Amino acid sequence: MTGIPFIGLYPFQWIALIAAALTLLLLADALAGHYRSGFAFRSQYAPFISGGVLIIAAGAAAIAPDTSWTTRALRVAGWLTVVTGVVGFGFHHYYGIAKKPGGYKWLLHYLMYGAPQLAPLALAAAGALALIAAQGLSGETSFAGMSLRVALLGFLSVALVGAILQAGILHYRGAFNNPAMYAPLVAPLLAVFGSAWIAFAPSRPAWHALAVLLWMTFLTGFVGLGMHLRGMGRQMGGLYVFLFNWLEGPPAFAPGLFAGFAAVGLVTVHLL
Amino acid sequence: MTRTVERGGTVRSLGQALSLFKMGAPMHPIFVHFTIALTASSLAFDALGFFLGVASLTATGGWTLVSAAVMTLMTISTGLTSSTRAPVEEGEARSFLRAHMALGLVFYGVLLAITLWRLSLWQQGLGVSWLYLAAMAVVSLVMTVQGYLGGELVYRYGVEVEQAHRELPEREANSTPPLLTSSSPGGTVTREKDERTA
Repeated sequence: MTGIPFIGLYPFQWIALIAAALTLLLLADALAGHYRSGFAFRSQYAPFISGGVLIIAAGAAAIAPDTSWTTRALRVAGWLTVVTGVVGFGFHHYYGIAKKPGGYKWLLHYLMYGAPQLAPLALAAAGALALIAAQGLSGETSFAGMSLRVALLGFLSVALVGAILQAGILHYRGAFNNPAMYAPLVAPLLAVFGSAWIAFAPSRPAWHALAVLLWMTFLTGFVGLGMHLRGMGRQMGGLYVFLFNWLEGPPAFAPGLFAGFAAVGLVTVHLL
Repeated sequence: MTRTVERGGTVRSLGQALSLFKMGAPMHPIFVHFTIALTASSLAFDALGFFLGVASLTATGGWTLVSAAVMTLMTISTGLTSSTRAPVEEGEARSFLRAHMALGLVFYGVLLAITLWRLSLWQQGLGVSWLYLAAMAVVSLVMTVQGYLGGELVYRYGVEVEQAHRELPEREANSTPPLLTSSSPGGTVTREKDERTA
């Protein structure tokens, strides 16, 4: 296996575990969103099936990386999740914007108050990460014509851009009422530039700078988790009225994605 | 809120004791002491190991830090459970509660980051440095602020203390208070009503 092991696990075992953790975070928020809308369509169960399969396959691949069926299962689960995410994006777009009264004329409104447009693509990103992990675990050195390191950096840039855009629009809806709401637009954005820079022009100082930015992004995720929990506590009744405020408050686990994506970058920087 | 009053009476059999077993005590204040003790110990052992040059002390610092990272997961999950059970009206106490909740996850983030740093040092066969100790001191400072907020919630506002425990039978307002035998010239002494209702 390629890379430097860290406490007994090789880089792509870590990547598989991070893919599983990211999927778990996404499913928790998807559960809140889909439950809030009453699971009006059967297709709203789809992410839990594909995501559930991905979590199991990623866990199995991390535990038994040398077994060929686990890597194959991870690849299948990855593709399944990518397809689910892309189709989900279509659903969110159609039912969340196009079919709504006013449609595209009310685009900004529906971007803020409709189904989160980029959330299903985050699930697709978790699937893509699983595909890269499967490639690494099976001993391959490239993914879609790129080296695995460049593929992971590319993944990091794209995934962080998506997370920043989604956080940006929702924090705009919240009128940036707390200065901490600017946090996802600082370190993660710089990390995007850093990872894109390194993908094309790697140098030792740039790697160091990226490592610092990724640690800051990692901490930003935890700050966000705390602040979103605080946000739920600010709703009427706080966590004492847990179910209602979990559904109506800020997405509880979404900031964890920043920490998860940063963890992918840190594995790439330190172990690959 | 009306508190449940104990029926009283001595527990005389195992079956009676088992029927009383309900894990009603809040778990968060129990687990939080593991986090505080393990994190503070880690800093202390690391500092001692660094200044005295004793490797076993530094190793102890590493293990206690890893244990703190694991135990804090329990602290956080029980804390979340506790906060869903706290019927706190809007005001000072809830502000404390919100700050405590937010800082709790921030603390876990920095604890996790420094644990990963520590594990990488261990893997490379390196000891702790001044920079590491300074970072660990910052983590401990965050933990201290967090502990202070939690302490205020309990000791100033009575979160999970008031309403959470049964009153003893003699504190029931309408019951006859138990007679206390005294050796004083006045003979039997009963408690004042004010004292009972306070």
